[in-house]
Amino acid sequence: MKQPTIAPDIERDSAPDEAVEADRPWLVIVWNDPINLMTYVTYVLQKLFGYSYDKAHKLMLDVHNKGKAVVSSGPREKAEMDCFRLHGYGLWATLSKSE
Amino acid sequence: MSDVPLMLNATEAAILRDLVEQMRALVKQSDATDPVRARLFPDAYDGEEEAASYRDMTGGDLSAVKLEALDRVSESLGQRGSTEIELGQDDGEAWIRALTDMRLAIGTRLEVTEDTMDLEPDPSDPGFAALQTLHWLGWLQERILERMVP
Repeated sequence: MKQPTIAPDIERDSAPDEAVEADRPWLVIVWNDPINLMTYVTYVLQKLFGYSYDKAHKLMLDVHNKGKAVVSSGPREKAEMDCFRLHGYGLWATLSKSE
Repeated sequence: MSDVPLMLNATEAAILRDLVEQMRALVKQSDATDPVRARLFPDAYDGEEEAASYRDMTGGDLSAVKLEALDRVSESLGQRGSTEIELGQDDGEAWIRALTDMRLAIGTRLEVTEDTMDLEPDPSDPGFAALQTLHWLGWLQERILERMVP
């Protein structure tokens, strides 16, 4: 998925904090849970984000093995919509601003 | 796209009809202290204020999505007896979502962990029947998933 463009330095210089703040994307994080099946989580990531089986499977394994994974990112509105759709499929998703 | 064949005997169909009813009641209640409710409607943010505002914005829609899936499952099951149908992809989608919510509700109620999910259910455990149902719903979900095209 295409990452949001980071504003060029010259723009940041004109309004330092706000510009940096606005450009930091929101991250959609899926957390591991003991109930959802691995095959199901992979399917949902393919279905919702159009990811290939390989990409979705790798993200699912990250969730399973590391406890969580960033599955998408973007402007706040898009991230909130992604989070909502994941909740519609019963995945445990949260939002946080990228560091 | 291939259809999803679904064959349930009368007992299995009756269990699912009952679960559909229980899930409808769960989705419609709003007891914020219920861990099942919290799992079906997770907080999107760490911060309480942001989480509450997100909940106000999306909670109704999320309930509607869940109830619609339950309605479709209910329709596929019919009123009584066994069920033998071919689900289209849209209905298959509703089924795997509804089965997920049922599994989340049962699993959260039982406070399952990865370890308990891996173990063979113990017949002397008071949660034995519920745990068996949880695994059966997972088995059913995987049979449907095999025929789904993402």
